[in-house]
Amino acid sequence: MPVYERGYTHWQPSGRRVNPAWLVIARRGITEPLKRRWLFLLILMAWVPAIVKGGIIYFKLKAGNLMDLVGGGWTSIEPEGFLRFIEGQRFSVFVLLAITGAGLISTDRRENGMSLYFSRPLGLLDYIGGKALTIVAFYCLITLAPVCVLCLFSYLVAPGATGPDLLLMTPLRTLVYCLLAGTSISLVLLAFSSLGTRSVFVMVWWTVLVSGTETVGAIAEGLGRGSLQAVNFLGQYHNAGSLLFGAPPRLEISPWISLAIVVAWTGLALWVLRRQIRPVEVVS
Amino acid sequence: MSALTFAYLTEPVLKGVDFTLDKGAIGLLGPNGSGKTTLLRCLLGQVPLSRGQVSVLGWDMATQARAARAGLGWMPERGGVIPGMSGVGLVAYMGELSGMPARDAMQRAHEVLHYVGLADERYRACQDYSQGMKQRLKLAQALVHDPEWLFLDEPTSGLDPRGRVSILELIRDLAWNKGLGVILSTHLLADVEAVCREILVLRAGELLARQAVDTHARQARQVFEVEGFGNEEAFVAGLRDLGAQFEPDGRLLLVTLDLSKLPDARQGAGFDTAAGVNAILRVAAASDFALRRLRRRPVTLAEEFYRMVEA
Repeated sequence: MPVYERGYTHWQPSGRRVNPAWLVIARRGITEPLKRRWLFLLILMAWVPAIVKGGIIYFKLKAGNLMDLVGGGWTSIEPEGFLRFIEGQRFSVFVLLAITGAGLISTDRRENGMSLYFSRPLGLLDYIGGKALTIVAFYCLITLAPVCVLCLFSYLVAPGATGPDLLLMTPLRTLVYCLLAGTSISLVLLAFSSLGTRSVFVMVWWTVLVSGTETVGAIAEGLGRGSLQAVNFLGQYHNAGSLLFGAPPRLEISPWISLAIVVAWTGLALWVLRRQIRPVEVVS
Repeated sequence: MSALTFAYLTEPVLKGVDFTLDKGAIGLLGPNGSGKTTLLRCLLGQVPLSRGQVSVLGWDMATQARAARAGLGWMPERGGVIPGMSGVGLVAYMGELSGMPARDAMQRAHEVLHYVGLADERYRACQDYSQGMKQRLKLAQALVHDPEWLFLDEPTSGLDPRGRVSILELIRDLAWNKGLGVILSTHLLADVEAVCREILVLRAGELLARQAVDTHARQARQVFEVEGFGNEEAFVAGLRDLGAQFEPDGRLLLVTLDLSKLPDARQGAGFDTAAGVNAILRVAAASDFALRRLRRRPVTLAEEFYRMVEA
């Protein structure tokens, strides 16, 4: 017997609470990237617009409509203003999700991690749910969280001027929007992640999907071909979100069409994930 | 497992495999592509079956695989080490995924890492581990939730001789002293001989043989090295009448006798080990053949395996 051996003992369950597998996967997916300090810096930078908006709201509420001259609708504390704030976060969303989400499945595929996961008592829904929740959490961290903080801040600065709507309905609308949009975006990113075994590959495709389609949409708008804005991936979420926030459409196409496109993307992503995620080894 | 059939697309990988296993150390042998890993995957409920039924720990793997997997540990051959995590982090993570409370999983991760000999390395990033350490880590993650059965796919793959012996000692300890069932899939026959009490031999997706590793179970077939002079033709003819097979080996003649064909060779459940020698001596005396050398050559598992696979 080896000298280092302490002997194998059988496990006696302690009776403590057992976390569901999807929560275990999500917790690991969130905490592992946060061990990198530069990610904190990135998240802090993603909060800069919120800090700026908070300052503007402060002066606006204190100095009347003078601050409307600065930033226009972006500084509004109406629901539309918060939708525009989320839209303004798209670059941070693009970067942060690429960093935290690209390798979630591709790494498992490369390292034969799926075989480990699916030798445990968990199913496909646990696996996808846990991975998706990881991305949703980071998405909400730079969209939902700042909006909620801003709403609370506005209410505290001028309770009489803002009213309870800002404290209840706007955070609620944002919560629903962020959960739905975040889930859909996370599934699309996971689908890309499941198609390759390298994070770089996933990031390239994610860049094409987000930045590429936005550029095409902007060119189409410049050329007066508004219907081509349907290719703008993130734009569809903001446009469909205008239904929820009671705001005018963000694109030249109907928000309902955008909603249909979002649903189609989500369905396609689920189909890809269903096909790609299997407990089989990738032979290098 | 009964009448198990599995196919990738239309290519059949397992064909009508049928067996029941009691707890213990079982070796799963077969040439490359014989379906060993696929069979383990079927036992884990990771692949849908074309036909047949797999029942593990009383659970039907077609419908209750998740429940069954709580009692199973799996050590894959390739990969299986998730980068970016420390050794203890990975093992605890796998424990939690197996249904252990977080604190229990962490405590248990430390214990099993001690057991497999990675106590000093447990906080290192697991992608920096050597091949031997990775194999130990994979064994630890398979053990963390204290499974009833361990499925090990080529656990000594890529290890140096010392590392191999060390891993085999652990596996043997688990199977023989700690009461875990172990299925060891490998193409290294020495590994099976060192650890297992029984082997399943697969060839082209079919279960070719199932037998004990114990040499007593193989003693029906005996091989003798024979050298002598005299009437060799009569000697060979006499042995042929007993069902012997011959193979020249330099100056020697290798004579293979099947004791089950010899009269009076049976002794209880096994065979009289001297029956083969006596039979050759009798034939030599009768055919006027003077024996200079008569030695029984032990039949190794390797010889047995190749005989079965190549038959």
